[in-house]
Amino acid sequence: MSANEQAPINLDEIRQVLDQHKDKMKTALRVCAHCSLCADSCFLYHVNDKDPRYMPSHKFINSLGRLYKKKGKVDRAGFEEIKEIVWRRCVLCTRCYCPLGIDIPEMIALARDICRTQEVYFQWSELEQPAK
Amino acid sequence: MYDFVRGPLVWVAFLVFICGTIYQVYRFYRLSRPKEQFRLRIPFGKPPKEPDEAPAEPELTWWEQVRLNVVGSNPIMISVTTVFHVALVITPFFILGHNVLLDLAWHASLPSLPEAVGDGLTIIVIAGGVFFLLRRIFLTRVRAISTPYDYLVLLIATAPFVTGFLAYHHLLDYDTVIVLHMLAGEIMLMAVPFTKLVHMPYFFINRFVLVHENTLGAGGSRIWR
Repeated sequence: MSANEQAPINLDEIRQVLDQHKDKMKTALRVCAHCSLCADSCFLYHVNDKDPRYMPSHKFINSLGRLYKKKGKVDRAGFEEIKEIVWRRCVLCTRCYCPLGIDIPEMIALARDICRTQEVYFQWSELEQPAK
Repeated sequence: MYDFVRGPLVWVAFLVFICGTIYQVYRFYRLSRPKEQFRLRIPFGKPPKEPDEAPAEPELTWWEQVRLNVVGSNPIMISVTTVFHVALVITPFFILGHNVLLDLAWHASLPSLPEAVGDGLTIIVIAGGVFFLLRRIFLTRVRAISTPYDYLVLLIATAPFVTGFLAYHHLLDYDTVIVLHMLAGEIMLMAVPFTKLVHMPYFFINRFVLVHENTLGAGGSRIWR
């Protein structure tokens, strides 16, 4: 479990990261054509029976994209979902390819940064459990 | 309405399209930086060794290269999207109707395609649009990341061609359809910098400017981070 489950979300800390990288996030989310051509470049997508949740675009849209669109207003349950995406479904191997040049690993890394500001991260013991 | 759509709105649309696209390209250059040269650390006091001859790597045939890249993994999608985009770009510039208008306005025009060819290209674009629509509805991985916005942008991209086809063949009420055609084209131009249609310049930025394993041409000059 994350270190501080019951603590309220600190919106200022989230928005600090969002504002710092706002332009890059906005550009990446805008340029994404939702074409799904990045899917085949992710080995996790292939070894998980081509589950669409492992597509690089799905991962960054539902993690960083969600944080950006909601201006950081994501509750603890939402952060748990994002945690699952950015740490369990992505290993930041940077193998993913986007035909339009989006730096998907950077978007996932920024989502991880935001999670860390809210003490949302996996403990070692949790990582032994199977992915949801 | 006709005079406004045929007159000032054309200029507004092109201005927004050109300035907006330039701004988006400028934004890319502002968000990226020049690639750094890889710097070797040489041990203190020792000259660098000559590298041993690397073992010869087997060269891939052209077919193997095609099979291993995105063309090989998504052959139908890549074929359709290539033909679709070529037709989409060529048609507005070389279709007879547009060149007649240019000639009347500025006494200059581009070469025109035969009308049957223009018609064929328009049908190719419309067919491509239908393919993308069906792909978005029926392919699980595409449906998983689709929103109403995607369908709207597809409509924006194909509406000029559908209305153009209807107008050329004088189907439905011509006066209404031609105004819709002009409006659809202007909306599409204005939408390019501010929607995912911005992939128009970004496709070339990714292929020729960004440095990665699939960069073409001189090998790219900029990186994101």
